[in-house]
Amino acid sequence: MLDTEVYLEKLSLFGRLLRQEGLNVSPNETADALRILLEVGFEDREIVRAAMSTVYAKSREEQDKFNRVFNGFFISEDAIRAIDKKHSEQEARQAAARQQAEQDLDQHSSSLLYNEAQKDAYAALPEDEKERLRQLKDRFIGPESRNPELYQNFIHSVFARSILEQQLMMEDAALGAAPTDPELGLMLRDISKFSDTEIPKAVSYIHDITRQINGELTQKRKKAGRDSKLDLRRTIRKGLETGGTLYRLSYKKKRSRKKQLVILCDVSASMVQFSEFVLRFIRSLDETSESSRIFLFSEGLVEADPFRLQNMDMFRDYVRQSGLYGRGTAMGRALKELNDRVPPVFSPSTMLLVVSDAKTVDLELCASELQRTLRSAGKVFWLNPIPERKWQYVRSIMMMKELVPMLPCSTLNELGNACRKLAYM
Amino acid sequence: MDLTTLRQKMDEAHYIYDDTLATVLYVALTLGRPLLIEGAAGVGKTEIAKVMASALDRELVRLQCYEGLDESKTLYEWNYQKQLLSIQVHMGSEDRDELTRSLFSDEYMLERPLLKSIRSEKSVVLLIDEIDKSDEEFEAFLLELLSDMQVTVPEVGTIRAKSIPFVVLTSNKARPISDALRRRCAYLYIDYPSLDKELAILRAKLPHVDDALCVAVATAVRNLRNSEAILKKPSIAEALDWTAALDALGVRELTPEIIRSTVGFVLKNNEDILTMEDMLESGELTAEECDCGHEGEEECDGHCGHHHHHHA
Repeated sequence: MLDTEVYLEKLSLFGRLLRQEGLNVSPNETADALRILLEVGFEDREIVRAAMSTVYAKSREEQDKFNRVFNGFFISEDAIRAIDKKHSEQEARQAAARQQAEQDLDQHSSSLLYNEAQKDAYAALPEDEKERLRQLKDRFIGPESRNPELYQNFIHSVFARSILEQQLMMEDAALGAAPTDPELGLMLRDISKFSDTEIPKAVSYIHDITRQINGELTQKRKKAGRDSKLDLRRTIRKGLETGGTLYRLSYKKKRSRKKQLVILCDVSASMVQFSEFVLRFIRSLDETSESSRIFLFSEGLVEADPFRLQNMDMFRDYVRQSGLYGRGTAMGRALKELNDRVPPVFSPSTMLLVVSDAKTVDLELCASELQRTLRSAGKVFWLNPIPERKWQYVRSIMMMKELVPMLPCSTLNELGNACRKLAYM
Repeated sequence: MDLTTLRQKMDEAHYIYDDTLATVLYVALTLGRPLLIEGAAGVGKTEIAKVMASALDRELVRLQCYEGLDESKTLYEWNYQKQLLSIQVHMGSEDRDELTRSLFSDEYMLERPLLKSIRSEKSVVLLIDEIDKSDEEFEAFLLELLSDMQVTVPEVGTIRAKSIPFVVLTSNKARPISDALRRRCAYLYIDYPSLDKELAILRAKLPHVDDALCVAVATAVRNLRNSEAILKKPSIAEALDWTAALDALGVRELTPEIIRSTVGFVLKNNEDILTMEDMLESGELTAEECDCGHEGEEECDGHCGHHHHHHA
């Protein structure tokens, strides 16, 4: 009896940890886990893991999280001590580095100006970057004596910039490292950072995801069709064949209307890989739209030939031939050309999809042309490959976001979600 | 049934399993939960239900899911035509109420797999195959059946299960399964087998085939699966087909020519076959690098493909 209570206490704690990881753990599961533990005992760790994973984890992603929590929770005394030791060593090292950072920062401006996270970022800066910052003082020895306040502000801004860059870099590094499952890893990583060997794999994931979305869509359509009304006229006519008995029932079918899609795709040097992925996605969504037109732009604008784009493996060659490859971005000009076209490209039944990182040279023109487009096109959406948490640092994104709904698509996962959202509209 | 007995039964059914699989099956059986199995095509999801049926000595009732599947095809359907005939025949009958009642009796009910499985006197194994192909409504309808083991038929009332079936659901992830259904199930993910396990399966299923050939096939299939460039990974079923085909051709040794002429059994699209050509040329396909941890020949016994395999 005592055993059972001890088990229950431990299990409810374990359940709480799983909940923190985002798993749905109800008292039912805890009761099941207890029943199973009493049956299988604790002799074999792997059996306990498999048994409890069956009870708690209900998908592959959840199994991954479960294993992490399990490894941390069911652990031997020695392992706990070793981890403790490692932790305290690491903390000591970190404290020393932070102290060093504070000293460095104090020499130039005041360390009070920086928060803990910024100090840690400074401590993680490469040595030559630190050295460069240290030497700032020697280089600006003159101005300091003339106007100490201005000098302080200047130094602070240089430091703040270096630290911010370092913080962004550290975030990027952490993004790829977290998940252990290689498949999940690729789904959650920045698309523009895929290596050449990973692209075929990523393409096959795109097929999987679009297959899923297509499946959902047909089901949605069918569902819409099924609650249609009885077609009395046809039923009676059919009934004549069977002597007036209404032997087979017919139903009215609804026709679904699809939208016309216009895609404006940035193929400047920084965007070409991402655009390729987006186009792959949209092309495989066979149910999205009745017809679509694809425009590619960097410094100029070209309408893509749909037949040439059927084989997406040739996409880059195609972009190269069109003369847009490796150029900068002038989105305002591209939009203006699109708006000025006769016959008009946009009508109330068109949906414009902009695929770009919003880093354009003619921001003002771009904003005004986008407003013009908004008046003529039915809907406008923006797919942005820059991670959402970085948007606040880019002025052009903040500006465009006010005008057009912007969907973050830096990873395959996000891109899949965005396409699902678009397909459902 | 305890874990050891379950293992014995599965051994008797000549099924190759690992500890995790045995434990998961045991947990699902003990808790009386349906078992949801996910994994790539051809890793043996459906096979588990068949093996459980033979291990537990129960009848296997199978429901293949597809788009548009609904209650009338899974649970029951009134035999409309027979009802119509009956009405015509008994047109002059006095007791109209009796006639109406009789129209909704067992005689006119066509029993479909789900109803059959819960009305069976003896407990069965119910396989709901490729649940991801069915619609969301069907999934919602399954919830009542799976959690309370009862179904409601409007004309008859609630039908309770006479025996509790062991339910196996399989999914290829063509669409996500709802959380509500997941919550009610025990979950199992099956990955492609390790080299040792695959070899054991080949030996068990094709006992008459030359062992060196099995080793060569298992190694090649393992290398194909490990390659990032192969899009459609070969499944266990395909490895079995390939081995059987090679054996039927009287092949004793996997040479590049033989591989080229029979590759259609393992790889099913042109891009993959081109990739395989590259792998053949670089020797990657028949590489002997071993992930089983064995070092010497005497320890390894050839299970890992080491030392027995002829390089292309």
